[in-house]
Amino acid sequence: MREWVAVFRRGIAIDNPLTVLMIGLCATLAVSTKVEGALFMGLAVIFVLGMSSIIVSSIRSLVPEQVRIPVFIVIIASFVTVVDLTLKAFFPDIYLFLGVWIPLIVVNCIILGRAEAFSYHQPVRLAVADGLGMGLGFSVVIVALAAIRELFGSGEIVFLGMRLITFPEWYRPPGVLLLFPGAFIIFGFIIAIAKWYNMRTSGRLIQPDPHCTIKEGSR
Amino acid sequence: METLQHFALLLVGGALVNNILLTRFIGLCPFFGVSSSVDTSLGMAGAVVFVMTLATTATWVFWNVLLVPLGVGDFLYIPAFILVIAALVQFVEMYLRKASPALYRSLGIFLPLITTNCAVLATATESVRPGFFKMGIEYGFSFGEALVYTVGISLGFGIALLTFAALRERLEVAPAPEVMRGTPMAFITAGLLSLGYVGLAGLFGL
Repeated sequence: MREWVAVFRRGIAIDNPLTVLMIGLCATLAVSTKVEGALFMGLAVIFVLGMSSIIVSSIRSLVPEQVRIPVFIVIIASFVTVVDLTLKAFFPDIYLFLGVWIPLIVVNCIILGRAEAFSYHQPVRLAVADGLGMGLGFSVVIVALAAIRELFGSGEIVFLGMRLITFPEWYRPPGVLLLFPGAFIIFGFIIAIAKWYNMRTSGRLIQPDPHCTIKEGSR
Repeated sequence: METLQHFALLLVGGALVNNILLTRFIGLCPFFGVSSSVDTSLGMAGAVVFVMTLATTATWVFWNVLLVPLGVGDFLYIPAFILVIAALVQFVEMYLRKASPALYRSLGIFLPLITTNCAVLATATESVRPGFFKMGIEYGFSFGEALVYTVGISLGFGIALLTFAALRERLEVAPAPEVMRGTPMAFITAGLLSLGYVGLAGLFGL
């Protein structure tokens, strides 16, 4: 049980996929203009990551080394299709907002990367812990980024039609925060904060994964 | 003349106005992963132009010959396209290793990276299945248009990657606080670079 918790917590802080491993950035920066969109993106990633971890880990002894990548991709693509059609049916507004990013979860390095680096070699219960931890770590960062951008960029946070926070009239929101440069710059500062925190708590020097991928050296 | 102009606009629109890296956030992993030196990013840019063009060709044929007539395009396009692209990259790698070892050595290590690169899937899907992400161009691409658009997008990828790699080489020696060094600085630089591309938005009505 202690091992389970340790694996779970690693995904949130010290091996956070976004701020430390630096994988799966595209979707993060693109959908973080709205908190609700970011939240649903996080939920979608948690679902796909958790389910694909279970499947990959439980069939790991049946899959030969040479064909594992296509097998992983088919598994992930099936779960992404489930998410794609579910959102289209029940949350059409969110589906329109997320648009291209739902199908692109298939090629999100986080999911294939964890399947390759973790689930393929570990028993099911640890694979679940890793999938949920990584998914939660992803969601926390993406929602935080979206909250900063939406609050300061548009002056209010709207969640499923409700206004959560509104700035007073005199606040003139700088629109650049909602554009592409704002995402890059704020995310740069978020990484710096995460790096500072991890350096203080663990003393471990944080080295990002130089290639978002997985497959190098395996061929 | 009309057609020539149309194709030129498609090329510029794909490469600069709708730059896939800096104004669409697609394909950022290699953007930060391999941009630490100009040499490797040149190799990566070459590999991307090559694979994207092939991938669009393959998925265009696949979509129009198989998926549309069978009526399964709407829910099978994700697995179908990613499998086509993965298989294609695998074949290209095997072929290059046999046929042209020199080219394989310079592009080889980037090929597996590209399979999981969202830029290839996004571009192939965008060129084939119009309206996939809102690029503001009239859709319903013919084969030629899809090809030109893809070449434009991949060139834009290369230009942005090379600019950024050149900037990052200078950043290495810049005096900066310890926590900001490395990736945080790289992101802020990318933000400033992206400001330049935002200035191009809406040019030629693209």
